[in-house]
Amino acid sequence: MTNRHALIFLGPVALLMALGFFVPLGQIFFTSVDGPKLSLRPFTELIDSRLFWLVLQNTFAISVEAMLASLLLAYPIAYHLSRVTPRRRAAYMILVLLPFWTSILVKSFAFTVILGDHGIVNNILRALFGEIGVVPLLFNRTGVVIGSVHWLLPFMVFPILVNLLAQGSDLHYAARVMGAGRTRIFLRITLPLSIPGVLAGCVITLVLSLGSFVTPALLGGRRDLMMASLVDFYTRISLDWAIAAAIAVLLLAITGGLILLLTRLPGEHRLI
Amino acid sequence: MRRPALITVLVAWAIYLFLIAPSLIVIPMSFNGSTELMFPPRSFSLHMYHEFFHGSDWLQATRESILVAIGTMLLSVAAGVPAAYALARAEFAGKRLLGVVLLAPMLVPTIVGALGLYLYLVHLGLAGTTAGLILGHTTLTTPFVIVIASASLRQIDPNLETAARIMGAGPLLVFRRIVLPRLYPAAVAAALFAFLISFDEVVIAWFISGVGTATLPVKMYSAIHWEVSPVLPVISTLLTLLSLVVCTVGALLRRRDAADV
Repeated sequence: MTNRHALIFLGPVALLMALGFFVPLGQIFFTSVDGPKLSLRPFTELIDSRLFWLVLQNTFAISVEAMLASLLLAYPIAYHLSRVTPRRRAAYMILVLLPFWTSILVKSFAFTVILGDHGIVNNILRALFGEIGVVPLLFNRTGVVIGSVHWLLPFMVFPILVNLLAQGSDLHYAARVMGAGRTRIFLRITLPLSIPGVLAGCVITLVLSLGSFVTPALLGGRRDLMMASLVDFYTRISLDWAIAAAIAVLLLAITGGLILLLTRLPGEHRLI
Repeated sequence: MRRPALITVLVAWAIYLFLIAPSLIVIPMSFNGSTELMFPPRSFSLHMYHEFFHGSDWLQATRESILVAIGTMLLSVAAGVPAAYALARAEFAGKRLLGVVLLAPMLVPTIVGALGLYLYLVHLGLAGTTAGLILGHTTLTTPFVIVIASASLRQIDPNLETAARIMGAGPLLVFRRIVLPRLYPAAVAAALFAFLISFDEVVIAWFISGVGTATLPVKMYSAIHWEVSPVLPVISTLLTLLSLVVCTVGALLRRRDAADV
Protein backbone atom coordinates (compact mmCIF):
# COMPACT_ATOMS: atom_id res chain seq x y z
CA MET A 1 0.00 0.00 0.00
CA THR A 2 1.45 3.34 -1.02
CA ASN A 3 1.34 6.48 1.08
CA ARG A 4 -1.25 7.92 -1.27
CA HIS A 5 -3.56 5.00 -0.63
CA ALA A 6 -2.97 5.11 3.12
CA LEU A 7 -4.07 8.73 2.90
CA ILE A 8 -7.31 7.72 1.17
CA PHE A 9 -8.04 5.20 3.91
CA LEU A 10 -7.00 7.41 6.80
CA GLY A 11 -8.04 10.83 5.50
CA PRO A 12 -11.70 10.74 6.56
CA VAL A 13 -10.94 9.50 10.07
CA ALA A 14 -8.19 12.10 10.51
CA LEU A 15 -10.52 14.90 9.45
CA LEU A 16 -13.31 13.67 11.70
CA MET A 17 -11.09 13.32 14.76
CA ALA A 18 -9.47 16.68 14.14
CA LEU A 19 -12.80 18.50 13.88
CA GLY A 20 -14.67 16.62 16.57
CA PHE A 21 -11.94 16.04 19.11
CA PHE A 22 -8.55 17.67 18.69
CA VAL A 23 -9.64 21.17 17.69
CA PRO A 24 -12.16 21.19 20.59
CA LEU A 25 -9.36 20.03 22.90
CA GLY A 26 -7.30 22.98 21.67
CA GLN A 27 -10.29 25.22 22.31
CA ILE A 28 -10.25 24.12 25.96
CA PHE A 29 -6.59 25.06 26.38
CA PHE A 30 -7.23 28.36 24.61
CA THR A 31 -10.23 29.16 26.82
CA SER A 32 -8.46 28.10 30.02
CA VAL A 33 -5.89 30.90 29.60
CA ASP A 34 -8.62 33.49 28.95
CA GLY A 35 -8.22 33.31 25.19
CA PRO A 36 -5.74 35.68 23.53
CA LYS A 37 -5.02 37.36 26.89
CA LEU A 38 -2.91 34.34 27.88
CA SER A 39 -3.55 34.99 31.55
CA LEU A 40 -3.34 32.39 34.26
CA ARG A 41 -6.25 33.98 36.14
CA PRO A 42 -8.54 30.91 35.82
CA PHE A 43 -5.89 28.66 37.35
CA THR A 44 -4.93 31.00 40.17
CA GLU A 45 -8.61 31.53 40.93
CA LEU A 46 -9.07 27.77 41.16
CA ILE A 47 -6.08 27.36 43.45
CA ASP A 48 -7.56 29.98 45.76
CA SER A 49 -11.01 28.41 45.67
CA ARG A 50 -11.94 26.32 48.69
CA LEU A 51 -14.74 24.69 46.72
CA PHE A 52 -12.28 23.44 44.12
CA TRP A 53 -9.99 21.79 46.68
CA LEU A 54 -12.96 20.20 48.36
CA VAL A 55 -14.21 18.84 45.05
CA LEU A 56 -10.73 17.63 44.06
CA GLN A 57 -10.45 15.80 47.37
CA ASN A 58 -13.94 14.31 46.91
CA THR A 59 -13.13 13.22 43.40
CA PHE A 60 -10.00 11.36 44.45
CA ALA A 61 -11.56 9.84 47.55
CA ILE A 62 -14.62 8.55 45.66
CA SER A 63 -12.53 7.31 42.74
CA VAL A 64 -10.04 5.42 44.89
CA GLU A 65 -12.81 3.87 47.01
CA ALA A 66 -14.69 2.84 43.87
CA MET A 67 -11.51 1.44 42.31
CA LEU A 68 -10.64 -0.69 45.35
CA ALA A 69 -14.19 -1.95 45.75
CA SER A 70 -14.31 -2.79 42.03
CA LEU A 71 -11.08 -4.76 42.35
CA LEU A 72 -12.47 -6.67 45.29
CA LEU A 73 -15.59 -7.64 43.34
CA ALA A 74 -14.00 -8.06 39.91
CA TYR A 75 -11.30 -10.51 40.90
CA PRO A 76 -13.63 -13.36 41.97
CA ILE A 77 -15.63 -12.91 38.77
CA ALA A 78 -12.57 -12.90 36.52
CA TYR A 79 -11.21 -15.91 38.40
CA HIS A 80 -14.49 -17.78 38.04
CA LEU A 81 -14.73 -16.94 34.32
CA SER A 82 -11.17 -18.14 33.75
CA ARG A 83 -11.87 -21.51 35.37
CA VAL A 84 -14.98 -22.59 33.42
CA THR A 85 -15.17 -24.13 29.95
CA PRO A 86 -15.14 -21.68 26.99
CA ARG A 87 -18.80 -22.45 26.24
CA ARG A 88 -19.88 -21.65 29.78
CA ARG A 89 -17.61 -18.62 29.84
CA ALA A 90 -19.42 -17.19 26.82
CA ALA A 91 -22.72 -17.65 28.67
CA TYR A 92 -21.52 -16.15 31.97
CA MET A 93 -19.90 -13.36 29.99
CA ILE A 94 -23.39 -12.09 29.09
CA LEU A 95 -23.87 -11.31 32.80
CA VAL A 96 -20.88 -8.96 32.62
CA LEU A 97 -21.49 -7.62 29.12
CA LEU A 98 -25.17 -6.77 29.59
CA PRO A 99 -24.49 -4.26 32.40
CA PHE A 100 -21.49 -3.01 30.40
CA TRP A 101 -23.75 -2.19 27.46
CA THR A 102 -26.65 -0.92 29.57
CA SER A 103 -27.23 2.82 29.70
CA ILE A 104 -25.77 4.41 32.81
CA LEU A 105 -29.10 6.21 33.23
CA VAL A 106 -30.99 2.92 33.44
CA LYS A 107 -28.55 1.71 36.08
CA SER A 108 -28.68 4.97 38.03
CA PHE A 109 -32.47 4.99 37.92
CA ALA A 110 -32.58 1.37 39.09
CA PHE A 111 -30.25 2.22 41.97
CA THR A 112 -32.48 5.06 43.11
CA VAL A 113 -35.21 2.42 43.42
CA ILE A 114 -32.96 -0.19 45.05
CA LEU A 115 -31.12 2.08 47.50
CA GLY A 116 -33.72 4.66 48.54
CA ASP A 117 -35.07 4.96 52.09
CA HIS A 118 -38.12 3.05 50.88
CA GLY A 119 -36.11 1.08 48.35
CA ILE A 120 -35.72 -2.66 48.08
CA VAL A 121 -32.69 -3.02 50.34
CA ASN A 122 -34.10 -0.84 53.09
CA ASN A 123 -37.52 -2.46 52.92
CA ILE A 124 -35.89 -5.82 53.53
CA LEU A 125 -33.83 -4.36 56.40
CA ARG A 126 -36.97 -2.74 57.81
CA ALA A 127 -38.82 -6.04 57.70
CA LEU A 128 -35.95 -7.75 59.50
CA PHE A 129 -34.90 -5.17 62.09
CA GLY A 130 -37.59 -2.49 62.13
CA GLU A 131 -36.82 1.24 61.68
CA ILE A 132 -33.36 0.99 63.27
CA GLY A 133 -32.28 -1.32 60.47
CA VAL A 134 -32.71 1.39 57.82
CA VAL A 135 -29.38 2.58 56.39
CA PRO A 136 -29.05 5.77 54.31
CA LEU A 137 -27.70 4.45 51.00
CA LEU A 138 -28.84 7.06 48.52
CA PHE A 139 -27.85 10.70 47.95
CA ASN A 140 -24.63 10.21 49.90
CA ARG A 141 -21.10 8.88 49.42
CA THR A 142 -22.26 5.26 49.74
CA GLY A 143 -24.70 5.69 46.87
CA VAL A 144 -22.05 7.20 44.59
CA VAL A 145 -19.56 4.44 45.37
CA ILE A 146 -22.13 1.64 44.83
CA GLY A 147 -23.24 3.17 41.53
CA SER A 148 -19.63 3.75 40.42
CA VAL A 149 -18.58 0.21 41.29
CA HIS A 150 -21.42 -1.19 39.24
CA TRP A 151 -20.40 0.95 36.30
CA LEU A 152 -16.66 0.18 36.63
CA LEU A 153 -16.79 -3.56 37.35
CA PRO A 154 -16.64 -4.76 33.71
CA PHE A 155 -13.65 -2.49 33.03
CA MET A 156 -11.84 -4.19 35.91
CA VAL A 157 -12.97 -7.72 34.98
CA PHE A 158 -11.74 -7.60 31.36
CA PRO A 159 -8.00 -6.94 31.90
CA ILE A 160 -7.82 -9.36 34.84
CA LEU A 161 -9.64 -12.04 32.85
CA VAL A 162 -7.35 -11.60 29.83
CA ASN A 163 -4.37 -12.00 32.16
CA LEU A 164 -5.75 -15.08 33.95
CA LEU A 165 -6.59 -16.76 30.65
CA ALA A 166 -3.08 -16.10 29.36
CA GLN A 167 -1.52 -17.87 32.35
CA GLY A 168 -0.58 -21.34 31.11
CA SER A 169 -2.05 -24.26 33.02
CA ASP A 170 1.34 -26.06 33.03
CA LEU A 171 2.54 -24.07 36.00
CA HIS A 172 -0.58 -24.88 37.99
CA TYR A 173 -0.33 -28.51 37.01
CA ALA A 174 3.31 -28.68 38.07
CA ALA A 175 2.47 -27.11 41.42
CA ARG A 176 -0.37 -29.54 41.93
CA VAL A 177 1.82 -32.53 41.13
CA MET A 178 4.28 -31.26 43.71
CA GLY A 179 1.47 -31.32 46.24
CA ALA A 180 0.31 -27.70 46.47
CA GLY A 181 -3.34 -27.14 47.42
CA ARG A 182 -5.79 -24.74 45.75
CA THR A 183 -5.12 -21.88 48.15
CA ARG A 184 -1.37 -22.23 47.89
CA ILE A 185 -1.49 -22.33 44.07
CA PHE A 186 -3.68 -19.23 44.04
CA LEU A 187 -1.52 -17.25 46.45
CA ARG A 188 1.87 -18.29 45.08
CA ILE A 189 1.19 -18.54 41.33
CA THR A 190 -2.12 -17.14 40.07
CA LEU A 191 -2.25 -13.96 42.15
CA PRO A 192 1.35 -12.75 41.65
CA LEU A 193 1.19 -13.46 37.92
CA SER A 194 -2.04 -11.49 37.59
CA ILE A 195 -0.60 -8.24 39.00
CA PRO A 196 -0.17 -6.60 35.54
CA GLY A 197 -3.84 -7.25 34.76
CA VAL A 198 -4.86 -5.88 38.15
CA LEU A 199 -2.77 -2.73 37.68
CA ALA A 200 -4.18 -2.16 34.20
CA GLY A 201 -7.71 -2.55 35.56
CA CYS A 202 -6.97 -0.16 38.43
CA VAL A 203 -5.64 2.57 36.12
CA ILE A 204 -8.56 2.23 33.68
CA THR A 205 -11.21 2.35 36.40
CA LEU A 206 -9.47 5.22 38.20
CA VAL A 207 -9.31 7.27 34.99
CA LEU A 208 -12.97 6.61 34.20
CA SER A 209 -14.06 7.32 37.73
CA LEU A 210 -12.15 10.62 37.99
CA GLY A 211 -14.21 11.94 35.07
CA SER A 212 -17.55 10.50 36.11
CA PHE A 213 -20.49 12.83 35.78
CA VAL A 214 -23.83 11.00 35.85
CA THR A 215 -23.36 8.76 38.89
CA PRO A 216 -22.41 11.43 41.46
CA ALA A 217 -25.04 13.80 40.09
CA LEU A 218 -27.87 11.26 40.38
CA LEU A 219 -26.85 9.09 43.34
CA GLY A 220 -24.78 11.51 45.41
CA GLY A 221 -25.74 14.23 47.83
CA ARG A 222 -24.81 17.91 47.80
CA ARG A 223 -21.46 17.14 49.40
CA ASP A 224 -20.43 14.51 46.83
CA LEU A 225 -19.70 16.95 44.04
CA MET A 226 -17.02 15.67 41.64
CA MET A 227 -14.84 17.47 39.07
CA ALA A 228 -17.20 16.80 36.15
CA SER A 229 -20.15 18.29 38.05
CA LEU A 230 -18.03 21.34 38.76
CA VAL A 231 -17.23 21.70 35.05
CA ASP A 232 -20.96 21.52 34.34
CA PHE A 233 -21.69 24.08 37.08
CA TYR A 234 -19.20 26.64 35.74
CA THR A 235 -20.32 26.08 32.14
CA ARG A 236 -24.08 26.31 32.57
CA ILE A 237 -24.83 28.03 35.86
CA SER A 238 -22.08 30.52 36.56
CA LEU A 239 -21.15 30.84 32.84
CA ASP A 240 -17.46 31.20 33.65
CA TRP A 241 -16.14 29.16 30.74
CA ALA A 242 -12.50 29.97 31.50
CA ILE A 243 -12.76 28.33 34.92
CA ALA A 244 -14.65 25.36 33.48
CA ALA A 245 -11.91 24.94 30.87
CA ALA A 246 -9.18 25.23 33.50
CA ILE A 247 -10.77 22.40 35.51
CA ALA A 248 -10.98 20.33 32.34
CA VAL A 249 -7.28 20.97 31.63
CA LEU A 250 -6.36 19.81 35.14
CA LEU A 251 -8.56 16.72 34.79
CA LEU A 252 -6.91 15.99 31.46
CA ALA A 253 -3.44 16.37 32.98
CA ILE A 254 -4.26 14.03 35.86
CA THR A 255 -5.77 11.32 33.68
CA GLY A 256 -3.04 11.74 31.07
CA GLY A 257 -0.42 11.15 33.76
CA LEU A 258 -2.20 8.00 34.90
CA ILE A 259 -2.43 6.64 31.36
CA LEU A 260 1.27 7.33 30.80
CA LEU A 261 1.84 5.26 33.91
CA LEU A 262 -0.22 2.46 32.38
CA THR A 263 1.96 2.34 29.27
CA ARG A 264 5.02 1.98 31.51
CA LEU A 265 3.53 -1.03 33.28
CA PRO A 266 4.72 -4.51 32.36
CA GLY A 267 2.57 -6.64 30.06
CA GLU A 268 0.87 -6.15 26.71
CA HIS A 269 -1.91 -3.60 26.37
CA ARG A 270 -2.12 -3.46 22.62
CA LEU A 271 -5.56 -2.71 21.23
CA ILE A 272 -4.68 -2.35 17.55
CA MET B 1 -7.48 -26.70 34.75
CA ARG B 2 -9.58 -27.77 37.73
CA ARG B 3 -13.15 -26.69 38.20
CA PRO B 4 -13.54 -23.73 40.55
CA ALA B 5 -14.14 -24.44 44.24
CA LEU B 6 -17.69 -24.13 45.58
CA ILE B 7 -16.88 -21.00 47.55
CA THR B 8 -15.58 -19.29 44.38
CA VAL B 9 -18.77 -20.19 42.55
CA LEU B 10 -20.97 -18.84 45.35
CA VAL B 11 -19.06 -15.57 45.67
CA ALA B 12 -19.04 -15.14 41.88
CA TRP B 13 -22.79 -15.70 41.70
CA ALA B 14 -23.45 -13.10 44.38
CA ILE B 15 -21.48 -10.58 42.31
CA TYR B 16 -23.21 -11.61 39.06
CA LEU B 17 -26.48 -10.92 40.85
CA PHE B 18 -25.28 -7.45 41.84
CA LEU B 19 -24.28 -6.83 38.22
CA ILE B 20 -27.52 -7.95 36.67
CA ALA B 21 -30.05 -6.81 39.32
CA PRO B 22 -30.46 -3.17 38.20
CA SER B 23 -31.22 -4.24 34.62
CA LEU B 24 -33.76 -6.83 35.77
CA ILE B 25 -35.53 -4.76 38.37
CA VAL B 26 -36.84 -2.18 35.93
CA ILE B 27 -38.77 -4.76 33.89
CA PRO B 28 -41.49 -5.69 36.44
CA MET B 29 -41.66 -2.04 37.52
CA SER B 30 -42.59 -0.99 33.99
CA PHE B 31 -45.83 -3.01 34.21
CA ASN B 32 -46.85 -1.24 37.40
CA GLY B 33 -50.49 -0.19 37.57
CA SER B 34 -50.10 2.85 39.82
CA THR B 35 -48.29 6.08 39.00
CA GLU B 36 -46.23 5.67 42.15
CA LEU B 37 -42.90 3.95 41.55
CA MET B 38 -42.70 0.75 43.53
CA PHE B 39 -41.04 -2.62 43.61
CA PRO B 40 -42.50 -5.18 43.58
CA PRO B 41 -45.46 -3.69 41.71
CA ARG B 42 -48.89 -4.29 43.26
CA SER B 43 -50.92 -4.46 40.05
CA PHE B 44 -50.31 -5.18 36.39
CA SER B 45 -50.98 -2.67 33.63
CA LEU B 46 -49.60 -1.47 30.31
CA HIS B 47 -50.65 2.07 31.16
CA MET B 48 -47.10 3.45 31.32
CA TYR B 49 -46.24 1.97 27.92
CA HIS B 50 -49.27 3.74 26.52
CA GLU B 51 -48.08 6.92 28.23
CA PHE B 52 -44.64 6.62 26.61
CA PHE B 53 -45.82 5.84 23.10
CA HIS B 54 -48.45 8.58 23.15
CA GLY B 55 -46.62 11.24 25.14
CA SER B 56 -45.28 13.51 22.42
CA ASP B 57 -42.22 14.89 24.25
CA TRP B 58 -40.72 11.49 25.10
CA LEU B 59 -41.30 10.31 21.52
CA GLN B 60 -39.73 13.50 20.18
CA ALA B 61 -36.61 12.85 22.27
CA THR B 62 -36.55 9.22 21.09
CA ARG B 63 -36.75 10.32 17.46
CA GLU B 64 -33.87 12.73 17.97
CA SER B 65 -31.81 9.96 19.60
CA ILE B 66 -32.48 7.58 16.71
CA LEU B 67 -31.52 10.24 14.19
CA VAL B 68 -28.27 11.03 15.98
CA ALA B 69 -27.44 7.35 16.52
CA ILE B 70 -27.98 6.45 12.85
CA GLY B 71 -25.86 9.38 11.68
CA THR B 72 -23.14 8.46 14.16
CA MET B 73 -23.25 4.80 13.17
CA LEU B 74 -22.89 5.47 9.43
CA LEU B 75 -20.18 8.09 9.84
CA SER B 76 -18.04 6.13 12.30
CA VAL B 77 -18.17 2.88 10.31
CA ALA B 78 -17.40 4.68 7.05
CA ALA B 79 -14.39 6.37 8.66
CA GLY B 80 -13.28 3.67 11.10
CA VAL B 81 -13.23 0.50 8.99
CA PRO B 82 -10.91 1.83 6.23
CA ALA B 83 -8.72 3.39 8.93
CA ALA B 84 -8.37 0.04 10.70
CA TYR B 85 -7.39 -1.55 7.37
CA ALA B 86 -4.67 1.02 6.70
CA LEU B 87 -3.37 0.68 10.27
CA ALA B 88 -3.26 -3.10 9.92
CA ARG B 89 -1.61 -3.37 6.49
CA ALA B 90 0.18 -0.17 5.51
CA GLU B 91 3.65 0.74 6.69
CA PHE B 92 4.42 4.41 7.13
CA ALA B 93 6.25 6.66 9.53
CA GLY B 94 4.26 7.56 12.64
CA LYS B 95 1.82 4.65 12.31
CA ARG B 96 2.02 3.64 15.94
CA LEU B 97 1.55 7.22 17.05
CA LEU B 98 -1.47 7.59 14.77
CA GLY B 99 -2.97 4.43 16.27
CA VAL B 100 -2.67 5.92 19.76
CA VAL B 101 -4.01 9.30 18.61
CA LEU B 102 -7.09 7.70 17.02
CA LEU B 103 -7.90 5.85 20.23
CA ALA B 104 -7.38 8.92 22.42
CA PRO B 105 -11.09 9.75 22.78
CA MET B 106 -11.53 6.42 24.58
CA LEU B 107 -9.03 7.48 27.22
CA VAL B 108 -9.87 11.15 27.68
CA PRO B 109 -12.72 11.77 30.15
CA THR B 110 -15.92 12.38 28.20
CA ILE B 111 -16.61 15.54 30.15
CA VAL B 112 -13.40 17.09 28.77
CA GLY B 113 -14.31 16.27 25.17
CA ALA B 114 -17.87 17.43 25.77
CA LEU B 115 -16.83 20.82 27.15
CA GLY B 116 -14.31 21.32 24.34
CA LEU B 117 -16.85 20.50 21.66
CA TYR B 118 -19.41 22.77 23.31
CA LEU B 119 -17.01 25.74 23.42
CA TYR B 120 -15.96 25.04 19.82
CA LEU B 121 -19.54 24.73 18.53
CA VAL B 122 -20.59 27.90 20.36
CA HIS B 123 -17.66 29.58 18.61
CA LEU B 124 -18.95 28.28 15.25
CA GLY B 125 -22.57 29.05 16.10
CA LEU B 126 -23.47 25.36 15.85
CA ALA B 127 -24.27 24.58 19.50
CA GLY B 128 -27.57 22.80 19.94
CA THR B 129 -27.61 21.34 16.43
CA THR B 130 -28.10 17.70 15.48
CA ALA B 131 -25.00 17.85 13.26
CA GLY B 132 -22.88 18.96 16.22
CA LEU B 133 -24.20 16.08 18.31
CA ILE B 134 -23.43 13.57 15.56
CA LEU B 135 -19.89 14.94 15.28
CA GLY B 136 -19.38 14.59 19.03
CA HIS B 137 -20.75 11.06 19.20
CA THR B 138 -18.75 9.97 16.16
CA THR B 139 -15.46 10.83 17.86
CA LEU B 140 -16.57 8.59 20.73
CA THR B 141 -17.68 5.60 18.63
CA THR B 142 -15.00 5.61 15.91
CA PRO B 143 -12.27 4.27 18.25
CA PHE B 144 -14.59 1.33 19.11
CA VAL B 145 -15.14 0.67 15.41
CA ILE B 146 -11.38 0.73 14.80
CA VAL B 147 -10.70 -1.69 17.68
CA ILE B 148 -13.39 -4.15 16.54
CA ALA B 149 -12.35 -4.00 12.88
CA SER B 150 -8.66 -4.38 13.83
CA ALA B 151 -9.42 -7.53 15.84
CA SER B 152 -11.20 -8.98 12.82
CA LEU B 153 -8.40 -7.98 10.42
CA ARG B 154 -5.94 -9.97 12.51
CA GLN B 155 -7.95 -13.08 11.61
CA ILE B 156 -7.84 -12.38 7.87
CA ASP B 157 -4.96 -13.93 5.96
CA PRO B 158 -3.00 -11.10 4.28
CA ASN B 159 -1.78 -13.60 1.64
CA LEU B 160 -5.18 -13.38 -0.02
CA GLU B 161 -4.65 -9.66 -0.50
CA THR B 162 -1.10 -10.21 -1.74
CA ALA B 163 -2.39 -12.73 -4.28
CA ALA B 164 -4.97 -10.25 -5.53
CA ARG B 165 -2.30 -7.55 -5.78
CA ILE B 166 -0.06 -9.85 -7.85
CA MET B 167 -2.98 -10.46 -10.18
CA GLY B 168 -3.06 -6.73 -10.75
CA ALA B 169 -5.76 -5.42 -8.41
CA GLY B 170 -5.16 -1.96 -6.89
CA PRO B 171 -5.43 -1.37 -3.12
CA LEU B 172 -8.94 0.07 -3.36
CA LEU B 173 -10.18 -2.91 -5.37
CA VAL B 174 -8.50 -5.33 -2.95
CA PHE B 175 -10.16 -3.56 -0.02
CA ARG B 176 -13.57 -3.67 -1.64
CA ARG B 177 -13.52 -7.18 -3.10
CA ILE B 178 -11.26 -9.15 -0.74
CA VAL B 179 -11.19 -7.40 2.63
CA LEU B 180 -14.67 -5.93 3.01
CA PRO B 181 -16.59 -9.19 2.44
CA ARG B 182 -14.50 -10.85 5.15
CA LEU B 183 -14.83 -7.86 7.48
CA TYR B 184 -18.58 -7.77 7.02
CA PRO B 185 -19.64 -9.46 10.32
CA ALA B 186 -17.25 -7.30 12.35
CA ALA B 187 -18.40 -4.16 10.54
CA VAL B 188 -22.05 -4.94 11.31
CA ALA B 189 -21.19 -5.63 14.96
CA ALA B 190 -19.23 -2.38 15.10
CA ALA B 191 -22.17 -0.51 13.57
CA LEU B 192 -24.56 -1.94 16.19
CA PHE B 193 -22.23 -1.00 19.04
CA ALA B 194 -21.75 2.49 17.59
CA PHE B 195 -25.52 2.90 17.40
CA LEU B 196 -25.95 1.78 21.00
CA ILE B 197 -23.13 3.95 22.38
CA SER B 198 -24.60 7.01 20.70
CA PHE B 199 -28.18 6.14 21.64
CA ASP B 200 -27.22 5.82 25.33
CA GLU B 201 -24.69 8.66 25.49
CA VAL B 202 -25.57 11.40 27.93
CA VAL B 203 -22.56 13.61 28.78
CA ILE B 204 -21.85 15.01 25.30
CA ALA B 205 -25.57 15.23 24.58
CA TRP B 206 -26.12 17.10 27.86
CA PHE B 207 -23.65 19.78 26.77
CA ILE B 208 -24.38 19.95 23.04
CA SER B 209 -28.09 19.40 22.61
CA GLY B 210 -30.42 22.36 22.72
CA VAL B 211 -34.09 22.75 23.58
CA GLY B 212 -35.35 21.26 20.34
CA THR B 213 -32.63 18.63 20.05
CA ALA B 214 -32.72 17.04 23.52
CA THR B 215 -32.02 13.31 23.17
CA LEU B 216 -33.69 10.56 25.15
CA PRO B 217 -30.80 10.23 27.65
CA VAL B 218 -30.81 14.01 28.23
CA LYS B 219 -34.52 13.93 28.96
CA MET B 220 -34.08 10.87 31.17
CA TYR B 221 -31.26 12.56 33.08
CA SER B 222 -33.44 15.55 33.85
CA ALA B 223 -36.36 13.29 34.70
CA ILE B 224 -34.35 11.24 37.19
CA HIS B 225 -32.84 14.40 38.65
CA TRP B 226 -35.94 16.51 39.03
CA GLU B 227 -39.23 14.72 38.75
CA VAL B 228 -38.85 10.89 38.74
CA SER B 229 -41.46 10.27 36.06
CA PRO B 230 -43.41 6.98 36.18
CA VAL B 231 -42.49 6.48 32.50
CA LEU B 232 -38.85 5.91 33.50
CA PRO B 233 -39.21 2.14 34.13
CA VAL B 234 -40.74 1.75 30.66
CA ILE B 235 -37.87 3.57 28.94
CA SER B 236 -35.38 1.67 31.08
CA THR B 237 -36.95 -1.65 30.09
CA LEU B 238 -36.86 -0.76 26.40
CA LEU B 239 -33.23 0.38 26.68
CA THR B 240 -32.29 -2.82 28.52
CA LEU B 241 -33.88 -4.90 25.75
CA LEU B 242 -32.00 -2.89 23.13
CA SER B 243 -28.72 -3.49 25.00
CA LEU B 244 -29.48 -7.20 25.30
CA VAL B 245 -30.18 -7.52 21.57
CA VAL B 246 -27.11 -5.54 20.54
CA CYS B 247 -24.73 -7.32 22.89
CA THR B 248 -26.04 -10.80 21.94
CA VAL B 249 -26.02 -10.17 18.18
CA GLY B 250 -22.66 -8.40 18.47
CA ALA B 251 -21.15 -11.34 20.39
CA LEU B 252 -22.48 -13.83 17.81
CA LEU B 253 -21.12 -11.81 14.91
CA ARG B 254 -17.72 -11.52 16.55
CA ARG B 255 -17.32 -15.14 17.71
CA ARG B 256 -14.45 -15.64 15.25
CA ASP B 257 -12.54 -12.57 16.44
CA ALA B 258 -13.27 -13.12 20.11
CA ALA B 259 -9.64 -12.93 21.15
CA ASP B 260 -10.50 -9.84 23.15
CA VAL B 261 -13.61 -8.18 24.49
